[in-house]
Amino acid sequence: MIWSAFKVSLLVVSVATIITSVLGLALAFVLARREFRGRELLDAVLTMPLVLPPTVTGYYLIVLLGRRGLLGAPLYAWTGWTITFTWQAAALAATVVALPLMIKAARAAIESVEPKYELASFTLGKGELETFLRVTLPLARRGVVAGIVLSAARALGEFGATLMLAGNIPGKTQTMPLAIYEAVISGEDRRAQTLAVALTLVSVAAVYLTNKLSRAKSAQAA
Amino acid sequence: MNENLQVQIKKRLTDGKRTADDARAGFMLDLAFETRAGINILFGPSGSGKTTTLRAIAGLVAPDEGRIAHGAQIYFDSTMHINLPIQRRRVGFVFQDNALFPHLTAAQNVAYGVAARERTTRARALLAQFGVEHLAAHYPRELSGGEQQRVALARALAPAPAVLLLDEPLSAVDVPTRARLLDEIDAAQRTSGIPFLYVTHNHAEAVRLGTHLILLHEGRVVQTGRPLDVFNAPQSASAVRAVGTENLFAGRVVEQRPAEGVTVIETNGLQLEAAYNALSIGSLITLGVRAEDIIIARERLTQTSARNVIAGRIREIMQTAEQTELIVDCGVELKVSVTAGTIKALDLRREAEVFLLIKARALHVVS
Repeated sequence: MIWSAFKVSLLVVSVATIITSVLGLALAFVLARREFRGRELLDAVLTMPLVLPPTVTGYYLIVLLGRRGLLGAPLYAWTGWTITFTWQAAALAATVVALPLMIKAARAAIESVEPKYELASFTLGKGELETFLRVTLPLARRGVVAGIVLSAARALGEFGATLMLAGNIPGKTQTMPLAIYEAVISGEDRRAQTLAVALTLVSVAAVYLTNKLSRAKSAQAA
Repeated sequence: MNENLQVQIKKRLTDGKRTADDARAGFMLDLAFETRAGINILFGPSGSGKTTTLRAIAGLVAPDEGRIAHGAQIYFDSTMHINLPIQRRRVGFVFQDNALFPHLTAAQNVAYGVAARERTTRARALLAQFGVEHLAAHYPRELSGGEQQRVALARALAPAPAVLLLDEPLSAVDVPTRARLLDEIDAAQRTSGIPFLYVTHNHAEAVRLGTHLILLHEGRVVQTGRPLDVFNAPQSASAVRAVGTENLFAGRVVEQRPAEGVTVIETNGLQLEAAYNALSIGSLITLGVRAEDIIIARERLTQTSARNVIAGRIREIMQTAEQTELIVDCGVELKVSVTAGTIKALDLRREAEVFLLIKARALHVVS
């Protein structure tokens, strides 16, 4: 059970982290460098999962994507597939909850890059995408990496929204946090302890890494 | 091949930070000029619109209306709805604080805008041209201000631009390095053959580099011409204000007295003593003295530390709210700034005979 929970968590966190990184970076860039009406509103909506109880986030995901959901119902009618109680649901829940952390960190990192470097790149004939990849991203990399580490850690610890949307099916949707919950209520203390220690070590490592990255950043700026 | 840049733009400047009751809230850029072959100087006090004009040409900001063209290539035309993207204008830009990419080495910075197949050779050739080949592997933070600006010049010229724009490129460079950098900018223009448009409010840079000067004041072109001609003969009140308080005139070194710490310079039959410098006798130079560094007297003083006591005649008295300026003819015409009280106390009027006192230290060699 420990091993299968570990495998589910590894899959869920990998997929969630990849989506969070790419999508979060794109959204962070738009929020940092584009001026449009409703920019701060978009930021607020994307930040909601950070402050909402995860079960509430999970509830909204069911309303949206459940078999009778706003998007879920037409999807079910068309393909006969629904996301609920699949590993994809666990990955989606983890993504939605982790995304705000990535956006916050990456937006701040991109905003700290002086626009003159991007302008210089434009005058040297480079387009927006190449400028972003070769100038903005390298200059913002520490904050971006910190955002990826934090959001991966958040995805790994996700419990409430996952339980709502994906359930708790061993070997399929039961991630390590869900396995701990089950181990505790069924009195399997050793198993709970092993899982808890493993997750604690990962979390400590993540915080240590992000702190180190942000300190290195301020030392470089000084 | 030496195509000129034609600029005719209008732009209302509202950068958000200015509030409605700010006196400059309605600041309007409304100007037209054409560059000549060589180095063109865009000159004016801060806030006159120099940098915005440069940015509009590069495509970093869009004018409200007007037209910007380089030869047959139209960069911007509001009536034809043309606004060529920055990347396709082939405009090199040297930023005030160089804006070198901090995460790339000098060589990588220069190679950044060059196509892959000629990248390394071109970067090396340009670094060599500016004498910084040995610094190729260094990061910008490891370079001095002058070295950084040399790399920035090499980087801007690397993609073979059709025109080079320079925004006060020497403002972050220490004074001893400036003279050499000016020579290198001059040489770079000759080598490339493209027109340079150089923004500055420094008289020495303008005179040293400029083949043509465009004088800006409050968003408008108030005069154009050879830099010395414009500085010495501003044609309007706003041109006078834009030119500033520097008197500039041509001269020739006629005598060196190092023991006294004095270099004697002749200009229009007038012998002036300037602080000693190592120029060889016979050198043709430009001299500068600020209007506020000249003292005016009604009679010839003898017991004075000022090395130059020159007789002259008041040609003009110009009084504005903030300052009073006299134009005194003493072989050359010099601007002298005084307070309104002095005019009364000394009974100064047009055609009055006066004596000007100038310390040797106040006379400086501009180029």
